[in-house]
Amino acid sequence: MSADLRERISTHLGWVSRRLVLVLAASLSTATSVVAAGSESFRNPAVDARLITAENGINPDATSISAGIHLQLGEDWKTYWRSPGEVGLPPSIDWTGSANIEEAEFLWPAPERFTAFGIENFGYHDEVVFPIRIVLSEPGMPVALRARVSLLTCSTVCVPQEFDLSLDLPRASGIDNAAAGLISTYAARVPDDGTDSGIRITSAHLDDAKTALTLTARSDEPFEAPDIFPELGEGTAFGKPDIRMAEGGRLVWARLPVLAAASDPAEFQVTVTDGNRAATLKPALAEDAPAPPFNIAAAVPGLGELAWIAAIAFLGGLILNVMPCVLPVLSIKLSSAIKSGDLSPARIRTGFAVSALGVLAFMWVLAGATIAARGFGLTVGWGLQFQNPIFLAVMLVVLVIFSANLFGLFEIALPSSWQTRLSRAGGGAGYGGDFATGAFAAILATPCSAPFLGTAIAFALAGRAIDIAVIFTALGVGLSLPYLVVAAFPQIVRRLPRPGRWMIVLKIVLGMALAATALWLFWVLSGVAGQTAALWIGLASIGAMALLSAHRIPAGARITGASALAAFAIALSGYLSEADQSAPTAGVDWAEFERSEIARLVSTGQVVFVDVTADWCLTCKANKTLVLDREPVASRLREPSIVAMRADWTRPDESISRYLESFGRYGIPFNAVYGPAAPGGIVLPELLSTEAVLEALSDAGSGRVASKQ
Amino acid sequence: MTSRGRRTFLVVSGLALLYAGFRIVPGLVREDLVFEEIDDPVGFRRLTAGKSSAGFDPFFGLADQTENNHADAESRVRRNICTTLYGDALGSGEDVPVASFSDYYCPYCRVQTKRLAAMEARPGSGIRIAWHELPLLGETSTLAAKAALAARNQGAYPAFHERLMKSPFQATPEYLQALADDIEIDHERLTADMNGERVLLDLENSAALARIFDFIGTPAMVIGRTVIQGEISERSIQDLVERERAEGWASVCRQT
Repeated sequence: MSADLRERISTHLGWVSRRLVLVLAASLSTATSVVAAGSESFRNPAVDARLITAENGINPDATSISAGIHLQLGEDWKTYWRSPGEVGLPPSIDWTGSANIEEAEFLWPAPERFTAFGIENFGYHDEVVFPIRIVLSEPGMPVALRARVSLLTCSTVCVPQEFDLSLDLPRASGIDNAAAGLISTYAARVPDDGTDSGIRITSAHLDDAKTALTLTARSDEPFEAPDIFPELGEGTAFGKPDIRMAEGGRLVWARLPVLAAASDPAEFQVTVTDGNRAATLKPALAEDAPAPPFNIAAAVPGLGELAWIAAIAFLGGLILNVMPCVLPVLSIKLSSAIKSGDLSPARIRTGFAVSALGVLAFMWVLAGATIAARGFGLTVGWGLQFQNPIFLAVMLVVLVIFSANLFGLFEIALPSSWQTRLSRAGGGAGYGGDFATGAFAAILATPCSAPFLGTAIAFALAGRAIDIAVIFTALGVGLSLPYLVVAAFPQIVRRLPRPGRWMIVLKIVLGMALAATALWLFWVLSGVAGQTAALWIGLASIGAMALLSAHRIPAGARITGASALAAFAIALSGYLSEADQSAPTAGVDWAEFERSEIARLVSTGQVVFVDVTADWCLTCKANKTLVLDREPVASRLREPSIVAMRADWTRPDESISRYLESFGRYGIPFNAVYGPAAPGGIVLPELLSTEAVLEALSDAGSGRVASKQ
Repeated sequence: MTSRGRRTFLVVSGLALLYAGFRIVPGLVREDLVFEEIDDPVGFRRLTAGKSSAGFDPFFGLADQTENNHADAESRVRRNICTTLYGDALGSGEDVPVASFSDYYCPYCRVQTKRLAAMEARPGSGIRIAWHELPLLGETSTLAAKAALAARNQGAYPAFHERLMKSPFQATPEYLQALADDIEIDHERLTADMNGERVLLDLENSAALARIFDFIGTPAMVIGRTVIQGEISERSIQDLVERERAEGWASVCRQT
């Protein structure tokens, strides 16, 4: 299932369940007047925007509320992250005119990368909610939200938008489940500081000339599709990262070119995203750049590198000429053509040139087929393909089988009917016949050239259309070079090497080269997918090879069996590389909230810390990252004499609601500490501080404080 | 190969070709040019390209300006629409004038201005471009536009464009100094001109044109008598230019 589809289904399920909860809540609700916690929509073809809050109203003691700007973008429309990229503009909100707002903290869900015409932009499409944590200046009093939103939306045209959204929250209680659901979904996508996501940056380096940023990130849970978004203040822009993964996906190395550097860079921070998790980290810059886990000859081949690829392909094409099934054909064709002296030298030369064109034509057909195959979706991006276990497995299988072919373990043969038909067609007179001679020579050579052409096709699949065209043209020029040379210097025909034993040796040498490449890929694969996976894939491809070379088994069964084994190896690579994932462990072991347990635990001398939280509650999240998950509170809560209980109020829960009501509270965050000295509980302020928590914990245990009232 | 084998082969490859055709061919086919005549200003038409720009509020941009100025500038521009729109590009009879409206902070504007500049530079291009700055994306965007127009006073408009494609504009005195040094213009004069009358008038005129033509954002273009909103392919620009030449775009400029 594609990630996209999965996401769509899960959002749909989420929507359905939220709807159900909403309907239930509405039908059960007998409490105060229910207010829809959402503003009127601002709507145009680019965007449908709404201001929402999780709370239907302001609870008597509430010091903060969880709000959000909900944007539904039209098809092809995008909006931007706080660092939009080289160009673009982040959304901003002016709260002037609002009442009872002390502070509004705008949270940015992890962005995605858009690349169009070489411009990198970071932002959102389809739908996004920017969660906003609003701190009230007067707790428990009504709130008037007046948001003047500035937003840049772009499709092929960039439309700046400025609009007002307003929402009034009277004194009331209750949660708008639809809004709370949206806020919690996107609050979960806001990058954390690495605690829950388990992502850390192990080194970062910016060279003195400010040309590139190099960094490494680690995670115990393997990365799947990591992306890196560094920020160095306004005016600094980074290009597309070259990302390489190693150690079974637990290590990510990335290098990002600096496209523009500001004269006075601001604080350095990096956001690492990977599927549904993300972290924004502030690593220190080191003196030296971390070395890449392995070298790829070319991430994106430049012009010079393309020339190298062409040169190698050309050499490969040239070598094909001395292959056992090409050379005899070649010598016979050449000498017979030269000897039949009734044609003028000029005619012979043009004839050979046309034959060379025939060879090229065959190669271009292959190139066209490869480009088309790429168009079908058989594509893998340069730079990333060597981290894609499936691509590596395919290459490994192809190389193992073809090297076995060169060692003579099995033959690839064209059906004999084709051979006769082709050679007959090649015998025609005139330029058409010459052209056909070239094309058919190339086709007749396939039993020998298949290992190379196959390998070339597999590698070329990873390239751009231009790479593919260059590779195959160079191969063709190499293969047709003898025709061209003979056309220029006819006497050279006598100097051509005679077929013999040396050709077998050459085959074996080339087979060894392919086997060595296979070994290298095996090494890369064990880095990317883990050793176990690589071992299985290696075994499966060797099995396929053994089956192909077992002459006693009928050909049909051999090929079917080998394909099945190859498919097994490839499927395995996709499965195994994802298999070994372990959930990261949180800082504190939270027990499930059980109200009746509190009194019992306290009677045995334990201290109980209760945290009532919800996914949509932004202040709860702030409390968690700033105080509860942080030292020294985290280790204090882990002590055996303290039981930490967490009550999750994300979904309405009658027992939690009643528990809150017993304290006269209708909203969260809510934290209380119980102990022998405070059996009735010490209620902590909504916005926690390390001191307050530590003090309450020791007070509840030591008996310095009686209890709440 | 047996005849049944051949038939299967033919069917399979036929299906594959069909699929490939569906994937590849639409990208090669020319987009149809669909127009919609405009009532005001009369004579012009809008390229709809199958998409509608309706539904957006009348465009204001993020910059603040007073209503009075707007009205003044608009009536001034309306009196000379073609000269304000095309300026010097109107001069030569053979070339089709193109007015380009862009903002340095809008992602697609970069693409469009680069594309247009490259097209104009080609020998025998048959187009002449009048560049308009339409800064809609906040203060830095306006500053960049002012700097560009100020550079134009010293004949360094193309150099400025090119430089801004390389590194984003920064609203700092150091940046402007470095920029002036790089494109070899007088820094003092550049900063003085940025708030000079000519630059402000140019900005006002471009903004008035944007309101008159109901632009919803950037990039935007007017080619001959056709108003285009958003980035379009080089192929479409070329087709439009041909069409404007064939249909005699100049009639629209004689009407006013």
